[in-house]
Amino acid sequence: MRKEFLAAGRGGQGILILGHVLGLAAAKYTGLYVTGTESYDAETRGGDSRVDLIFTDSQDELDYFKVRSADIALFMYSDQLLKYRRLVGNEAIVFIDSSFHIPELRSSWQVYRVPYTDMAEEKLGTHVVANMIALGHIIRKTGLIDREAVISSIKEVVRKRWVSVDLKAFELGMELDP
Amino acid sequence: MRADYITTNIAIAEGAMAAGLMFYAGYPITPASDLFEYLASVLPSRNGVVAQFEDEIASINAVIGASWAGVKAMTATSGPGFSLMVEGLGLAIITEAPLVVVDIMRAGPSTGVPTKATQSDVYQVRFSSHGIYSIPVLVPWSAQEGFDLAVKAFNIAERLRTPVVLLSDAVLAHAWEKVSLRSSEEIQVVNRKKPKNLEEGMFPFKPENDLVPPMPCFGEGFGVKVESLSHDERGWYAPDNETYKKLVWRLVKKIENNMSLIWDSERYFTNDAEYAIVAYGSVARPAYAAVKEFRREGYKFGLYRLKTLWPFNDRDVANSLRKIKKVFVVENNEGKMYREIARSVKSAEVISVPLINLEVPPPEEIEEAVKEWL
Amino acid sequence: MALTRVIAEHPLSKYLVNERLPHAWCPGCGLGITLGAILRAVDRKVREGKIDIKKLVLVSGIGCSARASFYVRFDSAHTIHGRAIPFATGAKLANPSLEVIVFGGDGDIAGIGGNHLIHAARRNMDLLVFMVSNLVYAMTGGQVAPTTPTGLFTTTTPYGNPERPINVVKLVASQNPNYVARASATHPALIEQYTYRALGMEGFRFIEVISMCPEVFGRHIGYNDPVSLYKAIKSKTRVKARPSLDEADYDWNHGWVLGEFIIKNNPGYLRTTGRWRA
Ligand SMILES: Cc1ncc(C[n+]2csc(CCOP(=O)(O)OP(=O)(O)O)c2C)c(N)n1
Ligand code: SF4
Repeated sequence: MRKEFLAAGRGGQGILILGHVLGLAAAKYTGLYVTGTESYDAETRGGDSRVDLIFTDSQDELDYFKVRSADIALFMYSDQLLKYRRLVGNEAIVFIDSSFHIPELRSSWQVYRVPYTDMAEEKLGTHVVANMIALGHIIRKTGLIDREAVISSIKEVVRKRWVSVDLKAFELGMELDP
Repeated sequence: MRADYITTNIAIAEGAMAAGLMFYAGYPITPASDLFEYLASVLPSRNGVVAQFEDEIASINAVIGASWAGVKAMTATSGPGFSLMVEGLGLAIITEAPLVVVDIMRAGPSTGVPTKATQSDVYQVRFSSHGIYSIPVLVPWSAQEGFDLAVKAFNIAERLRTPVVLLSDAVLAHAWEKVSLRSSEEIQVVNRKKPKNLEEGMFPFKPENDLVPPMPCFGEGFGVKVESLSHDERGWYAPDNETYKKLVWRLVKKIENNMSLIWDSERYFTNDAEYAIVAYGSVARPAYAAVKEFRREGYKFGLYRLKTLWPFNDRDVANSLRKIKKVFVVENNEGKMYREIARSVKSAEVISVPLINLEVPPPEEIEEAVKEWL
Repeated sequence: MALTRVIAEHPLSKYLVNERLPHAWCPGCGLGITLGAILRAVDRKVREGKIDIKKLVLVSGIGCSARASFYVRFDSAHTIHGRAIPFATGAKLANPSLEVIVFGGDGDIAGIGGNHLIHAARRNMDLLVFMVSNLVYAMTGGQVAPTTPTGLFTTTTPYGNPERPINVVKLVASQNPNYVARASATHPALIEQYTYRALGMEGFRFIEVISMCPEVFGRHIGYNDPVSLYKAIKSKTRVKARPSLDEADYDWNHGWVLGEFIIKNNPGYLRTTGRWRA
């Protein structure tokens, strides 16, 4: 098994945290191997923010660090979707925050458009947990990592005062069924 | 053993602590600073010392002083800092002080691109200090190997009374991976030989059969003489030819003759291979992907990966590649280790594939470059 | 090099590697006098049970002065030019039970190693540093040193030194260490007295020792024998019990004030980092 996951958005959208939660969940709470790289612009807010994660069930399948043909992708903003869509495989499952304008999509993709950001604002009173709604949604639709593993990882990665709202957001994502 | 999701920098710090690290001195530099910061937060609670010095020169000299005071000591830096450490490295070599220097390569010359990787220091770490010597240099290709080779680096340093360089790079430094962290009880930890009696302690440079002298340290009552000048077995200055020759030959041979303790390499798909890529460090990762892609396309490719760069094991390299027709040496520099490979492999055509890329050359770039020669 | 032979047991032979004597310093050099005075202070401390000789380490860099590491019987390290202070710092931090002395020339300590000196003083690092100011780079044959007074001739200032000398006492004092003194090889009793006080004290301690290098300093400026250089330097020194820093001026024409400029008892680096062991 080998799965490539790409998440991209603007700085401040919690892309790096989402990546860290997934990476730790796989490494610590499942038998999977994982490689993750982050890239972000120097100015943390507004600039590009991208996480590449590669999950495998054998060490031997881990090679290059970066995603070349994502099986699963999340785009939290339209600019990054345009910029990185060449890295998304034809058969990919693609999650897109529809709170923002959505450019043209590849027809072979299985696409989920959800206004994660607006939903976070409406249901939980803050846009900053949009990433966790998206994460829940991804886990629900792809089964990439065991739900319990992700929950344990969230508790470990996010700051204490955010844990309960992040978990709520995650569960909200798990319940999404569009 | 516990699994965690950490960067190679943190994995190296963890490996060093498992091996018994008790002293770290450093000076901030990208991409090594977070290793330093991590140790600053965790080592004191294990009774170790972490201190920031005024520069890299001070850092390595403090590490040597700590080593002679009897503890396992380390520093980490990148090319510009390593340049400043070079003279101190020579002091560690001639006084046979066990210690580890982590060099996390970035793009040079000079300030270059601080945050990005190349493999430009492979000669610097081996040859840049003046004089006649040999120094072990280990190159990890993953966070897991960052941990494993940090342990090995300390074990070699202690076993052979030598500085050891652990050579990582900016890409590996900040790649997050699953790492199995083992505790000191779960790994083999080697400690320096100590003098068995007062008489032995008076000769800090008198080797045993393995060419390695037991190490008396400060405060143990031996009146030890640490000497940067050419010296006899007591550590007394001796500028005569015989003593000098004996000393530097021993410094070289205690490393080269103990090749089996130091050298390691790995082969992937080489059994039936006609072609092989030789790579090391971060570049071996996309090279491995390229080899798999070549195999899918029907080309019989294998990968030969160096886990040790120095001392260079001509024999293992020649043997491992003896059935190969064409050998491609892929590296993120102008073709440095190619010279060593070409020198040792007489049975195949050896081709340099220098791919300078601040992001590490992706597999496609390697495939494309190699295909030109097929 | 030395013309005399050791004929009877030296009173300090306990502390000396006698097999390496006679030492290599020139006749009339201030270094032997200085080391002898320091060892007498060490001996007093050892006999009083205040220092364990097994825990004493002398660290030096490179230079004529640095050769002191050859001759002491206790642990010593002859390291590289300018780097004795960081080496000593590492040893002290790694094993706080050591009493670590640094001994070096003015070039070693204040020239190439000047930055380390400033920062060790700033940290109030638990070290005792001796800087022997012979006003020249002696080992390499008499080139200008950072301490060489303006106007004097050296091999690299054949028209007279155009630069001003560094005032290391003031420089170190500005970092607020625990002890700063200036002595001279013309006054060995002072060296012994200051060393005796500074040994075993907490924090950073600095003792400058003005010294004579008749071989490659004196001869360049017209003192053709050791005695005339000794007399010249002696005539330029004035001893004061507790001089103020304003009196620490450094000038060939007006000479030097010797004395203890700073004596404090602030917590040293080891104490502030929770590692102090008395
Ligand atoms: C890096 C380096 N540069 C230059 C030298 C050459 N060198 C040896 S001793 C010395 C200066 C000695 O002067 P000082 O420290 O004042 O000691 P002195 O000999 O006067 O006691 C120099 C420049 C060296 N050993 N290392
Ligand atoms: S050259 Fe000068 S400092 Fe060196 S030993 Fe001779 S007199 Fe002393």
